[in-house]
Amino acid sequence: MDGERLLWLATVVVAAGFFAFNVQKFTDYLRLGTAPEDRTNSPLARLTNFLEIGIFQKKIFRDSIAGPMHAAIFWGFCVLTAGTVEFIVRGVVPSFSFSAFLPHWLYAFYLANQDLWGVLVLGAVALALTRRLTRSVRRLQGAETHPNDPLLILSWIGALMITMFGMHAFELALDPTSPMAAAPLSLNMANALHGVSEGAARAGLEINWWLHGLLVLGFLNYLPYSKHFHVVTSLPNVYLSNTSGPGQVGVMRAMDLEAEDVEVFGAADVQQLSWKNLLDGFACTECGRCTAVCPANATGKLLSPRKIMINVRERLEEVAPVSVGGGNGNSEAVLGKRLLDDYITDEELWACTSCRACVYECPVSIDQLEVINEMRRHLVLTESRFPEVLIPTFESMESRGSPWAFDPGDRARWAEGMDIPTMAELTERGERPEVLYWVGCMGSFDERSKKTTVAFARIMQAAGVRFAILGQEEKCNGDPARRLGNEYLYQTLAKDNISMLDQYGVTTIVTACPHCFHQIGNEYPQLGGNYEVIHHSTYIESLLAAGRVPLRDGETANAVRSFTFHDSCYLGRYNDVYDAPRDTIRRALPVVRMQEMPRSRDRGFCCGAGGGRMFMEETTGTRINADRAREALATGTDAIAVACPFCMTMMRDGVAANGASTPVYDIAEVVAERLD
Amino acid sequence: MPNVLVFAESRGGALRRAAFEALTAARSLADGGEVHALVFGAPGIGDKTAELAKFGAATVIVCEHAAFANYAPESMAATFAARVQSGGYKAALFTASAHGKDLGPRVAAKLRSPIATDVVSMKWEGESLVAEKPGYTGKVIATVVLSASPALVSVRPGTFVAAQSPAAGNVERISPASDPSADRVRVTETVVGDTAKLDLGEAPVIIAGGRGLKEAKNFSLLEDLARAFGNAAVGATRAVTDDGWRPHSDQIGQTGRLVSPDLYVAVGISGAIQHLAGMRTSRTIVAINRDKEAPIFKIADYGIIGDALEIVPALTEAVRAAKHGA
Repeated sequence: MDGERLLWLATVVVAAGFFAFNVQKFTDYLRLGTAPEDRTNSPLARLTNFLEIGIFQKKIFRDSIAGPMHAAIFWGFCVLTAGTVEFIVRGVVPSFSFSAFLPHWLYAFYLANQDLWGVLVLGAVALALTRRLTRSVRRLQGAETHPNDPLLILSWIGALMITMFGMHAFELALDPTSPMAAAPLSLNMANALHGVSEGAARAGLEINWWLHGLLVLGFLNYLPYSKHFHVVTSLPNVYLSNTSGPGQVGVMRAMDLEAEDVEVFGAADVQQLSWKNLLDGFACTECGRCTAVCPANATGKLLSPRKIMINVRERLEEVAPVSVGGGNGNSEAVLGKRLLDDYITDEELWACTSCRACVYECPVSIDQLEVINEMRRHLVLTESRFPEVLIPTFESMESRGSPWAFDPGDRARWAEGMDIPTMAELTERGERPEVLYWVGCMGSFDERSKKTTVAFARIMQAAGVRFAILGQEEKCNGDPARRLGNEYLYQTLAKDNISMLDQYGVTTIVTACPHCFHQIGNEYPQLGGNYEVIHHSTYIESLLAAGRVPLRDGETANAVRSFTFHDSCYLGRYNDVYDAPRDTIRRALPVVRMQEMPRSRDRGFCCGAGGGRMFMEETTGTRINADRAREALATGTDAIAVACPFCMTMMRDGVAANGASTPVYDIAEVVAERLD
Repeated sequence: MPNVLVFAESRGGALRRAAFEALTAARSLADGGEVHALVFGAPGIGDKTAELAKFGAATVIVCEHAAFANYAPESMAATFAARVQSGGYKAALFTASAHGKDLGPRVAAKLRSPIATDVVSMKWEGESLVAEKPGYTGKVIATVVLSASPALVSVRPGTFVAAQSPAAGNVERISPASDPSADRVRVTETVVGDTAKLDLGEAPVIIAGGRGLKEAKNFSLLEDLARAFGNAAVGATRAVTDDGWRPHSDQIGQTGRLVSPDLYVAVGISGAIQHLAGMRTSRTIVAINRDKEAPIFKIADYGIIGDALEIVPALTEAVRAAKHGA
């Protein structure tokens, strides 16, 4: 083996060793996260996510400009990495070639692909650099980002491609019979080198070869110090993530409040998060898609989901060296700091509407919301720190079983004269209903929402559904408390409800509130409550589809010819229900025109009420509901349809804030208006 | 024939109405015994205590000290407690004002005596003092029995209407039982709020406006109406405070003030749950709204359907005329 080969081998060994050292270091860092987390279940579902979201870049393509650029670079890297392996081995063993294992045509195809993808990557890199340097792309900006890092990385990738082509071209120039002749661009470049002396060509090859080799190894070792570490972390992250399943998405982490050894609830620092939350920090490449779709951020609030993840990574990189060992002299100062307060403020955490837009948008399946939720829990449960304005809400939920300070005795007032039995009455008669209608606090107390409640009840009566309500026995499902971090209050309410539902042997529940729907159906199982819960959009649609609801023909009373449907987050992104409410309207009003907003379905923009924001002030920036209502009004629609009582309130208020009088209807009202 | 000692509250060198209310209440407890008033203040307060005799103080005990220009909790409590003991009083009375709420429990602790706070009625039953006090924002009345002596009571302000009943009013001067300058708690400054404006939580009448008023400047109509009532404050909905028409401190609702006045006039308010949650317990609700479907009418006792900009000025005139006539 000659000196050059030995030198290369030594370089590779050192580079690989250093990289392995860093990977080991980061793995140790992840172990700092103590919150229990198991991601070994459902390997098949995880593999599907890995392929769809990771390999086939499903989420990446949601951005029509950056999507193809990124996919070209990503797929290019997949293809070129094979070539890089061949290149590295050949540096040590010059006779090594994949051609030894591959049929000739396949090897030629592989070489041609190296060329093709090299061009695509180079083109994408050039576009990406131009975009970053000449355009001001809003989502790529933000005080928390590292704007020079991508410029370096993109240039680096460009240099990798250029040296690769240089290497191939000189190789072909020296040996026109090389299999590399199958690579069209390299061949053309080699032809252009015609007339260059053999010595110059040999020098050209040597220079490009070493440059390329050092760039490859340098790139590998630069990654751990850059946000571009996502090259290594994102694919495992997608596999290990739960944000697209397996299982129900959007369910908050279970919490054992009885655990006697627990001194701190929720997360104030990275140690109280899970290893997966920490891996999320390393998987983030600051693309800003999460922040770009965040309703709080879009309306001028301090919250940026991207910053939350960057802060997690920064804090981990600050505290881990001290905790893991080998700490420096400032260890006391470092341990004195924490993620909460020193990186993330209360104001950011309370601005979140829990709409899940950030989580849904993330191309590498990061769960920003889980960090926010865990930190809210810490604020409320451990430090009793929350906006004062929430006190009446918490108190009322505790004493009256509703966030609104209404008399629990008035809960079933809306049903007076409608001949709707309560569960207690039915049970006394020894009867059981087909379904239990869970009305919810808004549907019980809010005058506007009561109209929806009555409409849904009338539809079920018209369809001959035998249903019952709980009447005064119903209590808030606890969702506002849980999303606001008050897990204790949530569990108190949820356990009360579960024991009551179980006592009546309830199996199937229908509700017009997406928050009740999600909470009881998806989160009560954590506390042992297992029911089939159906949202009224799905239920009414199925009744209509079965022809059980007698509808009349003719003009609508209010001459509504077009509808814009506003998606509820807890129905859409949390539960994947997008078509049922739209189909319900179409079935009730076949000639009506549906006018979609630019941000609809899984891109739907929150009304601003989720995550307990309904019970808080919105004093910074513009108001989310006004922004959303403006978007709805811009479609020129005759009416706005919703399928959530909170969206109803927010959209009505937002329409008024825009000086308009466009009516807002719940889908149940649209159908009830057509009842024969 | 028990003697009763009263904390005669003063502020800024003058006696407060609370002092006369407490004296009046004390007379019902004295039952033939004497009522004594203890007044704290800066030097000179002693010259302004003649009124106390008119309301029934047989003896006016004056404790002057430069530091008593402000409320001085520790020294005043020590002095008051010492006097209760040395005077052999069977009961002592405070008004449940800001000062009285602070001072009463301090004295009770020093004397290891029972105290009934925020009391609306009281009487002796044998050796025990039986008092009634409201709880849960007036939803229940609790009856408490103080069987130890001396019994301490703070009476709810405004419950006992001050009535004259002249007594001797012999003035006795005492020194503070402890040096006020050694107090660990000291009042250094009193910041007085906007006195011209009634606080929403205290106003018996509230005129509240919503987005139906169309413009911020139309709130002047509500202010006119509030002035006509004389005892009214102006509130607003969240939509209005969010839009900056009114300050956030004026907001009534789930995320603002929770109010329960005798009369609530809702002008141009649709009645979103967020607003209703803050005012639905008002005794009488009057709603003015153009939309007859507005949810506010569901909880209103009286409803006027029409343009607020026409109705409110007419209402103002009517209130003025009624007041003038009375």
